[in-house]
Amino acid sequence: MASTSITVEHMARVEGHGDIRLVIEGGQVTTCEMAVVEPARLFESMVRRRSYEEVPYIASRVCGICSSSHVVTDLRAIEAVFGVEVSDRTEALRELLVYGSFLQNHATHLFVFAAPDFLGHKSVFPLADVNPELLQKALGLKALGNELCTLVGGRSIHPITAVVGGFTHEIEPAEYLRLADAMDRARPFALECVDLFRDFDTLDVQTEGDLLAMVAPGAYPVCTSDTARFVRAGYDFAVDAVEEEIEEYPQHSSAAFLARARRTGRPYLTAALARVNASWDALCKDARYAAAKAGLRPPEYNPFANNIAQAVELVDVLDRCAALCRRLAADDFAGPSAPVPFTVCAGRGVGFTEAPRGALFHILDLDGEGRVERASILTPTAQNIANLEADMAQLAEKMVDADYDEAMIRLEIEKLVRAYDPCLSCSVH
Amino acid sequence: MTDAPRAPRVVFAGLASCFGCQINITNIEEHLLAVLGQIDLAYWQLTSSAPMPDEFDVAVVEGAVTTEEAARTVRRLRERARTVIAIGACAATGGIPGMAAGDIAGHAAAVYGESTPAACGSLRAPAPVSAVIDVDFTVPCCPVDPFDFVRVLDAALYGSNRLAATSALCGECSRNEGGCLYARGQMCLGLVTRAGCGARCPALGRACNGCAGLSPDANVGAARAFAASRGHVPERFDEALQMFNAVALAAAGKE
Repeated sequence: MASTSITVEHMARVEGHGDIRLVIEGGQVTTCEMAVVEPARLFESMVRRRSYEEVPYIASRVCGICSSSHVVTDLRAIEAVFGVEVSDRTEALRELLVYGSFLQNHATHLFVFAAPDFLGHKSVFPLADVNPELLQKALGLKALGNELCTLVGGRSIHPITAVVGGFTHEIEPAEYLRLADAMDRARPFALECVDLFRDFDTLDVQTEGDLLAMVAPGAYPVCTSDTARFVRAGYDFAVDAVEEEIEEYPQHSSAAFLARARRTGRPYLTAALARVNASWDALCKDARYAAAKAGLRPPEYNPFANNIAQAVELVDVLDRCAALCRRLAADDFAGPSAPVPFTVCAGRGVGFTEAPRGALFHILDLDGEGRVERASILTPTAQNIANLEADMAQLAEKMVDADYDEAMIRLEIEKLVRAYDPCLSCSVH
Repeated sequence: MTDAPRAPRVVFAGLASCFGCQINITNIEEHLLAVLGQIDLAYWQLTSSAPMPDEFDVAVVEGAVTTEEAARTVRRLRERARTVIAIGACAATGGIPGMAAGDIAGHAAAVYGESTPAACGSLRAPAPVSAVIDVDFTVPCCPVDPFDFVRVLDAALYGSNRLAATSALCGECSRNEGGCLYARGQMCLGLVTRAGCGARCPALGRACNGCAGLSPDANVGAARAFAASRGHVPERFDEALQMFNAVALAAAGKE
């Protein structure tokens, strides 16, 4: 097969709308696009002139799956402007909220979006006939994430209770303990997930781009650090400098802005795989062992391993959530979580979290009344697209060289896109 | 088996949105399979790579109409479907995307500069689905309550004499006995927002932001005056209402 073209319009089992366009001529990949064909969503413009109180509520609507992450990221940006110091209890609750979206996202991505490719199905629903127990357990894990978000945030998506300075509502200690027990009960299945995804065959792709993740000494941070690391280039930067470190650039085929590291000019991957590479030592013991057993150890640059990395994070997150819930029940964090008082002032703030799909930045300029003068959002998927396209081209070239047929190339490219767990609707904001 | 009635064929379509309403429907895990047992879920791009069929009974639409392409999509759905259900604030009121309705070109230029990428489609002022086609059922709120969706789907498939709530949220909220947020110095849009959600936000200490849309009984002028009497600048009340109801307010302003 010397020449062919592969087009997938409105790729299924991803969030949002995207087309794959791949042209191979004389054994060479001449076009390789992951075109984001999402209608313009214009959040960065719509939040202008809006009050800081409304901005997290609006930004939440960028994404139905990582709404908790958008809210917490915006709150961190606003609090950076006002100089708000939240209590340890509030920090813990925010971590729970973010972890809740990890559970929701990873369980949904692994089973509803990714697994059908490996099992030869068009969707997750046939699993109800062939392996109902697996489906029940997978949905159970997702349900646990929903419950965590509902109890902490007030509902399973678009949290209600998280506001500048703290939380407007908290559950009773007994409910934290019940959640902790549910986390413990879910762990054996999370460990099984790591094995399940280890056993799926994937091709060898080695990303040439960099990896970006939040880092903190001795921790596997998701919303408590202001330092990001480019893992392969080996340097850290403070989030305040995010716009000096990361360049967003337009591409006509895409409604999303793409991104690359300014210092190296390289595209990069930000995702569970980047976090596991960056903070391997701080994974909980069970998660680290399960990862090692599955052959996932840093440095790991095969983007297909992001599926395993997400499964490893399920184990890690359940462990952390159980501990957080027990400490919250025992009143072991300096509190309270009720919003602390603050004074509105003008300034620039950068919010940074690890969303389920990778690093998320919100940059806000507020005026003296706390109204937005300028907003910029960098979502994980928008940052990943350039790197994904490079990986797609690499995979396609390898498959052409090895004489795979067109249907196989198409399936493997789709698998690769899904391994990145893109949120295309998020990437346009 | 051949004599059994054909299961109603249902398709899902997502327009400009966060996908949250579709996701929230998948969040009723244990019930979802029971619902799916009764319908032929013929097209759901979010969950399946099976293509959209030519014939179906029910079309479920999430998201606001923000492009000419989306307008064509919903017209095509209307031609083929017996029943169209609009789910979520974006589809029902224009929702958050509706905030850009007053100046879509200006907002696009603010984000993309002089030339908006072709991949964005041909932009038009964001509007609810009902502004383009007739909609049979609406599931309000941002996000939808998935059980609300199941009730409405039930009504679409089998009929129901249950009517959508028309009153404002305050009555529903006071039954929660959590006290009024105005008494705590906060401005709340429950005065004019359609009831039916159980007043979940005020019950958790957060003011209503109007995501269910304006109640047909709403008296916006009186509500604005009430908010002013409690020390809230009237312009702030209007501004807060814009978040989910910009399209309806602009239409009311033109009348």
